[in-house]
Amino acid sequence: MDIDKQSNTGAGSPIEFRLDPASGVPTYLQLVQQVEHALRLGYLKPGDQLPKVRDVVAALAINPNTVLKAYKELETKGLAAGRPGQGTFVQATLSQVALPELAGLRRTLLGWLASADAAGLDEDGMVALFTSALRDFHESRGSRTRGGAAGDETEGVA
Amino acid sequence: MSPNVVEASGLGKRYGSTWALRECTVAIPEGHVAALVGPNGAGKTTLLNIAAGLVAPSAGEVTVLGGRPAGSPAALDGIAFVAQDTPMYKNLSARDMLHLTRNLNRRFDQPYAEARLGELGIPLKRKAGKLSGGQQAQLALTLALARRPRLLVLDEPMAMLDPIARHDFMASVMTAMAADGVSVVLSSHVLAELERVADYLILMSRGCVQLAGEVDDLLAAHRMLTGPAAEADRYAGRLSVVHTSRGEAQAHLLIRASADDPVPPGWEAHTVGLEELALVYLREPAPAVLPGPARARGQNNQQTEVTK
Amino acid sequence: MTALTVSAGREEDASLRPLPWQRMAWVTWRQHRTPLVSVAVFLGALAVGIWVAGRTTHHVYAAAVAACESRNSLACPGMANTLLGTYGFLSNGFILQGVPVLIGAFAGAPVLARELETGTFRYAWTQGFGRWRWTLAKLVPLAVMLAAAAGVFSLVLDWYYQPYVAEGSQALGLTAYTPFFPGLFDLRGIGFAAWTLVAFAIGALAGMLIRRVVPAIVATLVAYAALAFAVGSWLRPAYMAPVVTSNLNVPGSAWVMSQWWTKGGRFTFAGSPPQNLLNKYCPNGPAGPVGPGGMPKTTGLAECLTPHGYTQWTSYQPASRFWAFQWIEGGWLLVLSALLIAATIWLVRRRAA
Repeated sequence: MDIDKQSNTGAGSPIEFRLDPASGVPTYLQLVQQVEHALRLGYLKPGDQLPKVRDVVAALAINPNTVLKAYKELETKGLAAGRPGQGTFVQATLSQVALPELAGLRRTLLGWLASADAAGLDEDGMVALFTSALRDFHESRGSRTRGGAAGDETEGVA
Repeated sequence: MSPNVVEASGLGKRYGSTWALRECTVAIPEGHVAALVGPNGAGKTTLLNIAAGLVAPSAGEVTVLGGRPAGSPAALDGIAFVAQDTPMYKNLSARDMLHLTRNLNRRFDQPYAEARLGELGIPLKRKAGKLSGGQQAQLALTLALARRPRLLVLDEPMAMLDPIARHDFMASVMTAMAADGVSVVLSSHVLAELERVADYLILMSRGCVQLAGEVDDLLAAHRMLTGPAAEADRYAGRLSVVHTSRGEAQAHLLIRASADDPVPPGWEAHTVGLEELALVYLREPAPAVLPGPARARGQNNQQTEVTK
Repeated sequence: MTALTVSAGREEDASLRPLPWQRMAWVTWRQHRTPLVSVAVFLGALAVGIWVAGRTTHHVYAAAVAACESRNSLACPGMANTLLGTYGFLSNGFILQGVPVLIGAFAGAPVLARELETGTFRYAWTQGFGRWRWTLAKLVPLAVMLAAAAGVFSLVLDWYYQPYVAEGSQALGLTAYTPFFPGLFDLRGIGFAAWTLVAFAIGALAGMLIRRVVPAIVATLVAYAALAFAVGSWLRPAYMAPVVTSNLNVPGSAWVMSQWWTKGGRFTFAGSPPQNLLNKYCPNGPAGPVGPGGMPKTTGLAECLTPHGYTQWTSYQPASRFWAFQWIEGGWLLVLSALLIAATIWLVRRRAA
């Protein structure tokens, strides 16, 4: 509702968030992923402002803490930075993968797909295997970066 | 340390011979949206009524907004309450309701209220009784928000609303939170919608608090293990198992553990969603002896007075 | 994770000064203007009706007085009946006894009962004004306004019933009513306003206790009726010790409480003499002297028994005590009303909703 949005003094953000409540992905992560995606596709460039917390909340009816959490995550990743009193702005781009490298990766992937098909895996099976491996890859990479610092974050486990 | 918007210890409320609330201990930090979830008759409305100052407890203590007694003038000033079924004076127009609320409170943002009603398409001249259920709920919320409270307490606010109205309602509440730092405590028995909105969860069942804590912490502290049913009992003793569900070959164990805890070989670990977690706990017969209410860090007053 | 916290500019003062009382003036008016206006219209219409009737009554009265003062007039006897017969249904005042309680019940009971019945107390009592101050700010002004309206209205009643209770009327035998007559006493002076006030206070308390509008109204009617009956029967006679006299000429306007007879200093009988005595001493029957207008004087029987050594004693309240009684009754009704309203506010303050 417009009353809830701040008056548009000057340009708004180039992007607008959307939410897929049934995707199973946590809300804040969806926002992070959408910013990264926009960066990759060129909708966002360094210096652009990310949507104001108020506007996101008014449009999507989500908890403002969630938006703050997403923006903090982007800050941690070095992709955005907050300016007090002004908002959150894009700071860097995602490392672009060079075109030849992309072509090489694509070739490798097609080869893998051929092997999977030969082994008898159907399309859903391939997707499941890929998703599971991707998750394992993330978790192993995440636990390496987190190290031992995770202990004091959570309180109250009996 | 950030004060708690609602702090209850050993709270109990008896009506006649039934206890609507029993040994209820919670500490809801400010700046959150706290969702009070539970089946009908769990005591959610009673707890909210006590926090709003409408009902005096039979046992225990409760303070709001950082130590003020519930129902005191300071508490009433800072808390805006919207009861179930949003009671309205049917014969008063929306404009009259604004006038009324303005007179009865210290702060009232008349321009905001009028603009909001205009946006919602609620004519100021129309009598409150002639508005639809959804419009009445929106009017009640407008009156509450225009008071610029520190805490907004909503009792099943969206029962009467269609999906669009629900979305707009929540959008307004969340925006008030973003703009003014209002804390929100709301009750609901619709879990699915709360995932987007709640960052503090209180599960209640049969008058007791089953589980309370920040959503992120709660979800991080639980795992769902899937593995062979035959091995399920072997791990039951070693792991803190909250709930077991088993088929003939496969079993699921909901355990309390963090992501760093090792997964038994041959088992898969998944994170648990809010709805699944809540349902499991709500079905448990005994109040959970577990990540109890997350006290604001630094505070350690566990005064449980039980008066019979 | 950064949680949003309250902006720093808020008052942290836990002891806030209460909101000014005049905030409630609009609230009380807006929420209760219908009963207030209805009462005003009702009393206004009633006043007009009584004024119209009263013109006739006063006219009849003037004629009766003229007829009876000139002793040789033949028209005088029977004037009492004529006077009674003019707007006869009003003459004993009983029909107007219901007005205070109707006003009080219909205006007083819904104040709290409707809030509790419809659930709007969940809104009203969580506003910043505070629930017991809200109650006080409603009940006291409403009580005062209704009592004042009733008081003004009762001036018309005072005027209307003047012929029935005037000393002169008694002397001329035009009326048998004393100012203390149960049907008339609390319609006049400050009685009407005081009874309206207490009816309102009973209604307010009933509304808080019963929490439903219609049952609260019914309960108010019942409680008021019981109170009025008890007061009229037992309490009012006891306000002041009655005057006891053996003088046979008790003024007709006096409120006779009891009469008894002694002979030679010893009590013989009370009330009417036994039949054998009557037959012995009053062979002509109990009919005694009658006033010119037709109303019998009270001294009938005494005149035949006294010569035989019997003394009649009368305890009565003289008409001059009318205002003393009005102040006493008005006073304790005021205190009772204040107590009832205070009890209502105490219940609001303390009781779980």
